[in-house]
Amino acid sequence: MPPRVSFSTQTLAVLSALTDEPSSWRHGYDLAKETSLKSGTLYPILLRLADRGLVEACWEDEQPVGRPRRHLYRLTSDGLAAATDALAAEAAKRRTTAPRVSPRLAGES
Amino acid sequence: MERLTRGLTWLLGRAERLLVAPGRRQWIEAVRAETEQVPAGWAQLSWLAGGLWLVFREANMARKIGYWLGVGAVAVIAAWTAWLSLRTTPASDAEAITDRFRILVGLTALVGLPWLARRHGVFGPVGPGVLARFMRIAGCGAVCGVGLLIVHLDRSSQGNGLGTGGFSPVQEFAGLAALAAAVVAPYAVRARWPQAEREKTWGIAACVATTALVLIPLQAIPVAYLMLIMAATSRRSPVRSTTLIAGAIGGLAYFLSLFATPIVDNGFLILMIIVVSTLLCTTLGGAGAAWLMTSTGTGSTGGAEDLRAARVRQGMYAGIAAGAIGGLALALSISFFGISMALGPLVGVVGGRLGGALAADHLPKRRSRDRSVSFGLYISD
Repeated sequence: MPPRVSFSTQTLAVLSALTDEPSSWRHGYDLAKETSLKSGTLYPILLRLADRGLVEACWEDEQPVGRPRRHLYRLTSDGLAAATDALAAEAAKRRTTAPRVSPRLAGES
Repeated sequence: MERLTRGLTWLLGRAERLLVAPGRRQWIEAVRAETEQVPAGWAQLSWLAGGLWLVFREANMARKIGYWLGVGAVAVIAAWTAWLSLRTTPASDAEAITDRFRILVGLTALVGLPWLARRHGVFGPVGPGVLARFMRIAGCGAVCGVGLLIVHLDRSSQGNGLGTGGFSPVQEFAGLAALAAAVVAPYAVRARWPQAEREKTWGIAACVATTALVLIPLQAIPVAYLMLIMAATSRRSPVRSTTLIAGAIGGLAYFLSLFATPIVDNGFLILMIIVVSTLLCTTLGGAGAAWLMTSTGTGSTGGAEDLRAARVRQGMYAGIAAGAIGGLALALSISFFGISMALGPLVGVVGGRLGGALAADHLPKRRSRDRSVSFGLYISD
């Protein structure tokens, strides 16, 4: 039986951002802007995901002009599989728990 | 604002180098590297504050601060005890000198055992978990509390102290020599006769310790408790966290059962009540520890016999812990020093083994779950 994986809402937001372009490297501030997470929330999540082997991290190869080298992140193959499963499960859960609108009320609006 | 940002950046760099393990520093550097991309002002400050929070988490600062606050509290109780004893004059309390001697022995053990631990590892350093740290601090604090209570009771007893009266140097030093011999005996026997059986080694140590207990009970018991606490909560301790929890529950049951028992005017009956209650509660603790133990992390080869032996062993540890915790609680609440504190762990050996064996043979095996919980992430099979 494959491992059952579930994540917090914030972790799902990070995974969702990383899943958009799984092959490209993203940096922390870019992810923070996209997910609206503070650095104190984002980095512990990235760190734990990296510890679990779901995210790989590296420094930029070349020294850019006018700013320090950035730390970059992307999903590993395991991470991509886990993220896809978790996001699909979350979407399914939202569909089942979404409030149903009665036809009469729907007609009135 | 700019000055504040520069200050926080400097602080983050310093904190990273001082507090975070080298393998994790790249994450803090990552936060610092991105700072210039963040718009200046509050957003940049908030970004840097997040970096400091990451340092706080990665350096386990909450655990360390909590532990050292606890160590400070134990030091305050110990200093208070010493101060209270020094304020008491021998003219007003015949036990004053004896109490000072007791305090000196207790403080020496409190400081000396961790020092010994650095060389041999039996008594420390403290285990990585919150539970081990909490148990060590609470236990040492409670032992110091017992010392404080003894001094206070002797001060207010108007000559009818807990001991035999005046200070007897011969008795004190003979007892102290026996106590030191009991601590050193296992190492000495192992060094002189490496092939000596474990039971014989500990048997010799127990005999010498009993001599110390008879000669200087109120010094020997606290020292034995400090040794137990430090050995059980050290990094190399064979006592599992679940065993400590089961022991604590058994100890609480032991304390409550005796605390709720009506006072009877019959010494033998009181002794019987204490023994039976201790036996029942330590058996409960032992059974709980054995049941909570799954096949993973036993250190056994995986055989049924090995697993059973490991369960009985953990049951015994839980029984000793239950007896000691209940004994300490009773000593602090109703001044049942000698009987509860000495009998608790001794009866706990029997009760814990019994409970461990009962659980290992009769209770259904608990299934282990391979899971871990971490920040915002939960994975299980």
